[in-house]
Amino acid sequence: MFETVIGLEVHVQLNTKTKLFCSCPTSFNHKQNTNTCPTCLALPGALPVLNKEALKKSIMFGTAVGATVNKTSFFDRKSYFYPDSPSAYQITQLYTPIVEHGYLEIDFEGGGKKTIGINRAHIEADAGKNMHESDYSKVDLNRAGTPLLEIVSEPDMRSAEEAILYLKKLHSIVKYIDISDANMQEGSFRVDVNVSIRPKGDEKLYTRVEIKNINSFRFIQRAIELEVARQTEAWEDGVYESEIVQETRLFDQEKQETKSMRTKEEAADYRYFPEPDLLKVVVPEDMYKEAIVIPELPDEKKQRFMDEFGVSQYNASVLTSSLEMAQFFDIMMQEGISSKNAVTWLSVELQGRLKNGMTLTSSPVSAKQLGLLVKRIEDRTISGKAAKEVLDFLMTDNMDVDVAIDKLGLKQVSDLGAIEKIIDDVLSSNPDKVNEYKSGKDKLFGFFVGQAMKASKGSANPQTVNEMLKGKLNS
Amino acid sequence: MQVNEQLLTHLENLSYLKVSEDKRQEIINQLSQIVSFVDNLSQLDTNSIDETFTMTNQATYLREDEPMCDSDINTNIIKHAPRTENNFFIVPKIIE
Repeated sequence: MFETVIGLEVHVQLNTKTKLFCSCPTSFNHKQNTNTCPTCLALPGALPVLNKEALKKSIMFGTAVGATVNKTSFFDRKSYFYPDSPSAYQITQLYTPIVEHGYLEIDFEGGGKKTIGINRAHIEADAGKNMHESDYSKVDLNRAGTPLLEIVSEPDMRSAEEAILYLKKLHSIVKYIDISDANMQEGSFRVDVNVSIRPKGDEKLYTRVEIKNINSFRFIQRAIELEVARQTEAWEDGVYESEIVQETRLFDQEKQETKSMRTKEEAADYRYFPEPDLLKVVVPEDMYKEAIVIPELPDEKKQRFMDEFGVSQYNASVLTSSLEMAQFFDIMMQEGISSKNAVTWLSVELQGRLKNGMTLTSSPVSAKQLGLLVKRIEDRTISGKAAKEVLDFLMTDNMDVDVAIDKLGLKQVSDLGAIEKIIDDVLSSNPDKVNEYKSGKDKLFGFFVGQAMKASKGSANPQTVNEMLKGKLNS
Repeated sequence: MQVNEQLLTHLENLSYLKVSEDKRQEIINQLSQIVSFVDNLSQLDTNSIDETFTMTNQATYLREDEPMCDSDINTNIIKHAPRTENNFFIVPKIIE
């Protein structure tokens, strides 16, 4: 029996306004080579100056994962030659990173938790982009110098499932503390997977293979499963030593296989040395104090939803799985409504109506509106059925909820006097039915409700009618 | 280190620059002088000095996160690049 050992490296693009070492705007989809300057183009004499915000966001991350924040850290120079890096080196943090020794907890679907260690998180500059034509290559350096936080886990994961749970938790943490857009398709959350296998019980780590640049959770899961199968097969066939080498492989989503990209350079090839263009990084005390006060984390929010609003554990997990949904729910709850109704109207009614790529962020009906709509059901202004009509209406014609209710004429009559009059009329015009009811024919109750509702043209609050009828008939 | 015609050709390839025939000997001489100047440093005993040692004990300066970009500069840089196309730098085909 084999055991899978997985470690993950995630490059998170920090959502600062400017690059790591110069004031060029960070951008996605801007015209090529327009967000560049002598520093990020590595022209002679241009020097790097560290972005304050990138440092602060890194400390926020360290706080979120219970890590040690090194108040003094250093940058190092990693040499490599490739046209996406005009300087022919990357400025990174090898020896003393800003963040070390953190952890996060993953929750299994069937219950149970596991702690996954985070070895380190260090700040580094991103490279530009190359596009390959048939006989030449094009270089766009807009991305060159964008701040990245590389988050390196301990090799603590034992299955593809655990790896995905770790990644989802990490993804949600960086979104919650707002240090990155973490968009996998746009490359602001990039995952490299290190996979090896070993006989169960063996403590040694065997040859690890790195799988790079896989841009969805589903493909990461698939890539790990395929790679584990390849390594296991090689071991069982007795060709592990020759077949499995330390290398970088790419996941081919069409062929559903991993294939060799290049054999991994030895660390020495990068000729790391302390970056001579930057002094040591010392975190100013006031920045540190600000950075350790971070927004509510996913697990905290989940617990609060359970404690404060009585949301079930399952619903709390669903609600907090995305920050947008959690924030939407939180705002709805400010109307003082029941969490059960809020969950249903958010996850079933509203989300069921969000079509054609609409999301909660672009929803035509805001959280405040939806919360108020639910409140109007709860305070008996409208029925649940009428509320669905109002919601349909608001999806296309945006206006105030109460105005929409009036406009659609859906307001229930909760005026006790008016309802009492209707009921009295119903009872006095059906004296024989009243007598039958009083002599034990309980089923007639429905008849009275029906008559009263009919007389009100459906606008009477059914619950009020019920209560009042019961009172009158049983007196 | 000996700077000669062979090394210069190698540097030209690495830097994607071309040194004209009439400047070659001059450049070789200058590079040789630079290398021998830097060689002076090897006379210093740095065994007891930390590798992150700097002449100042100050921390690196922290810049405010405010965007600033002078498009004249990058337009000018693109204009002087050996080869461009539609605002891309063009380089020899990269072989993976």
